[in-house]
Amino acid sequence: MQEAELHDLSDDADYAASQQEGSASMMRCYSSKLSTSSETEGAEIVYLKDNVAIHPTQYAFERISGRLKLIKQGSALFMTWIPYKRQSTNAKLSEKDRNLYTIRAVPFADVRSIRRHTPALGWQYIIVVLSSGRNRLAFPPLYFYNGGVREFLTTIKQHVFLVRSVEDTNVFLLNDFQNPLQRTLSSLELPRAVSIPSMPSTPALPRESTSHENQERTDVGISDVSASIPQYNGKRRQKFHDPARDISIQVLEKFSFVTKFARETTSQLFRESHGNGFRPLERRKSNQSDDYSHKPSDDAEGVAVQSPVAPDPVEVYVCSLCQLIALCNNASAHLSMESVLGHGPTGTWFSTSIPGNLMPTSILVEQKVPYREHNRDGEAATNVGTFELISYKEFDKLSLVWGKPRQPPLGLEEWATFLDSEGRVVDSKALRKRIFYGGIEHKLRKEVWAILLGYHTYESTYAERKHQRSIKKTEYETIKSQWQSISPAQAKRFTKFRERKGLIEKDVVRTDRSLSFYDGDDNPNVNLLRDILLTYSFYNFDLGYCQGMSDLLSPILFVMEDESESFWCFVALMECLGPNFNRDQSGMHSQLFALSKLVELLDNPLHNYFKQNDCLNYFFCFRWMLIQFKRELEYEKTMRLWEVLWTHYLSEHLHLYVGVAILKRYRGKIIGEQMDFDTLIRFINELSGRIDLDATLRDAEALCICAGEKGADCIPPGTPPSMPVDNGLLYSQQDEVL
Amino acid sequence: MASRRRMLLKVIILGDSGVGKTSLMNQYVNRKFSNQYKATIGADFLTKEVQFDDRLFTLQIWDTAGQERFQSLGVAFYRGADCCVLVHDVNVMKSFDNLNNWREEFLIQASPSDPENFPFVVLGNKVDVDGGNSRVVSEKKAKAWCASKGNIPYFETSAKEGFNVDAAFECIARNALKNEPEEEIYLPETIDVASGGRPQRSTGCEC
Repeated sequence: MQEAELHDLSDDADYAASQQEGSASMMRCYSSKLSTSSETEGAEIVYLKDNVAIHPTQYAFERISGRLKLIKQGSALFMTWIPYKRQSTNAKLSEKDRNLYTIRAVPFADVRSIRRHTPALGWQYIIVVLSSGRNRLAFPPLYFYNGGVREFLTTIKQHVFLVRSVEDTNVFLLNDFQNPLQRTLSSLELPRAVSIPSMPSTPALPRESTSHENQERTDVGISDVSASIPQYNGKRRQKFHDPARDISIQVLEKFSFVTKFARETTSQLFRESHGNGFRPLERRKSNQSDDYSHKPSDDAEGVAVQSPVAPDPVEVYVCSLCQLIALCNNASAHLSMESVLGHGPTGTWFSTSIPGNLMPTSILVEQKVPYREHNRDGEAATNVGTFELISYKEFDKLSLVWGKPRQPPLGLEEWATFLDSEGRVVDSKALRKRIFYGGIEHKLRKEVWAILLGYHTYESTYAERKHQRSIKKTEYETIKSQWQSISPAQAKRFTKFRERKGLIEKDVVRTDRSLSFYDGDDNPNVNLLRDILLTYSFYNFDLGYCQGMSDLLSPILFVMEDESESFWCFVALMECLGPNFNRDQSGMHSQLFALSKLVELLDNPLHNYFKQNDCLNYFFCFRWMLIQFKRELEYEKTMRLWEVLWTHYLSEHLHLYVGVAILKRYRGKIIGEQMDFDTLIRFINELSGRIDLDATLRDAEALCICAGEKGADCIPPGTPPSMPVDNGLLYSQQDEVL
Repeated sequence: MASRRRMLLKVIILGDSGVGKTSLMNQYVNRKFSNQYKATIGADFLTKEVQFDDRLFTLQIWDTAGQERFQSLGVAFYRGADCCVLVHDVNVMKSFDNLNNWREEFLIQASPSDPENFPFVVLGNKVDVDGGNSRVVSEKKAKAWCASKGNIPYFETSAKEGFNVDAAFECIARNALKNEPEEEIYLPETIDVASGGRPQRSTGCEC
């Protein structure tokens, strides 16, 4: 199509490809000119650069290369960056990534600043920061593999008012240069922030053109412009024209309304509930042994009685809607939302009648607004359809509302049923599912964690595991002896070793010391933590030691109770979480970025709130992501969460949905109290120890199902705990210090 | 006037891992010391009300992770800082050597409007350890460095024993206040800095 078909991973090939692509596209453009030129009256390309790439992961070789263009139309200047189409390719960077990162016709009226970076080694790159709102959203860095940054800036300067920042000569300001001192771009912007593919705020292009511009217009430009500007070209859109998808988008768009409607109504009813005869819809019932089963003793007490963390009926509602969307996405493409949601005979339930049902149980579609006794058969009109209010009694029988109820942890006897006579896990998926919904009894963790983490395989037999343990023990001792054999005299001349050891020693004595397993003076377990971490820093010398690792190791040692076993389980965990500790923080940035995209998808009003309050960097969730909620939960709950996460049952990124679930749970407070960035950090930090894990997991499950493919699309490739691409060098960063 | 929010003074504590940043903050704000503070991950802050010349201020003290690898996070937390506290452990030479890095990194990331005159305060912590016998960074050495960087005020402290912590933070707060007039525009009623006169950074701290 409009983009080049060619791509390659090596620089030279890149260049060759671009050369070919240039001429090829010129021909294509020429031939398509007649059909499209009418739509692109007055557009001209004033700058074009090939081999401008973004680096979606830490590895430069995984870059996505593309063509950067400046397009002038009327008095407006636009920027586009369209990735090349690939033929041979790294499967990890798929079409969806390319779509995710594509920059389509951003008007410079929306650009606040451009920062130029000239690293000592590597390619010059720029970061373009948008000015829309106060959100400081930035595009990911654009690396100029063929140079041309200067020309790029010069060209911009010819067409729009561009000034150099007074305080930083590498920052160029547009549009709000009145107060350059305050407006300087810092690298505060999420480096990986990416535009939403369909830039909704992009205004329609002005169509008029001046004769002056006509003179400069090139034939190449015309159709390329149309290719880059979705407003002018239906082709790009057609690609996405999937009815089921459209339905879900529409419904998602309507979420905000429904949520708001439901929230307002519920909060109003809750306020009035005392003595008013209102009763919130009773959810759950039945035999779940979870901690929510305190039966309301008094209707008037309403929701507060229902569960320790007052379940938010709106969340419940939204989730059922989400599930419905998941269903629709999965179901026949022609399913109309109206017919599903709207005026069915009773209008309350959907289950197996929909093909592709994701949920094992029925889906509740209901109006989750507390209802009046006398109005139980009424209807509630919402933006997405009319719902029947289901009766209390009816509701009573049902269990699924948001997420499935948590099950008791997997015990010894049940564990045995998952194994064949020689100890192999027969059905790993069933096992993972079971653990996903209930976790593992503590005494069984030792055995199962080693498998969940991948230290032992599911297919291994008792004998093989035993054998591996002994081999690995020897291997561990060998690595350990590497640092143990460093004499004081040698250490004197080995600064990096001394510093690393010092840092580890400082941290192990402040890791979970209130736990009896680690408390007291000269606790041998603390020494084990130190030895394992030091050994790991030799095993993975490039990554070394980083704060947070001791938090990750502590529960593992507590469970495994064996030095070598703990080490290897930790190694397995770090295979996934290592990028969290990269020097460039790329693993963290991609997770925080994904989190922001997921909130945008799943709770748009909250996203908008964060955007308005300059909170889109999500740094307030940094600790959550870095050590997987370890500091947020009690020790036992941390272990429970981790084993659930490690199942990778619904998603390998469930922890992101856990994050969204917690934020959603407190969204009312966050927005209601108008928390700013600082307050939010404090608030989130203070949630530590007060998070209801089971409820959060249920929310996370529902959100994950709800988000479905769209959710997965929010998560950049290589985001931890996805395995990094193995290029032989796992941690190629220049780690000068520790 | 009465409904105006109290003026906020934002202070950032920086320094190598384990020099006692969290402890200093907690000693000052909560008058508590614990051997069991966990390594700080990300950032957190505590606030304390302080009074100068009959005016109340909220001192917002930011505690950050000490490992260099997390420095890139700083931008999010450093912005709007009114004063930066650089902490080293007098028993660890490296932590002192790194003060320069911390200072420069702060100036880059916070990009204050007047980097030359941005107020820093240096604390040499853990003077209590081993009765001072394990000390490797002398007061003279620390003061010489502070002098070379534009007369940065210097304090020797012990977060564990609470030694000199209040005095240090009072100086920190006063320096933060001197930096604050930049923000006058937003809080017209609270500009009254007449008491201290226009800041003269080079004189260091009078407290």
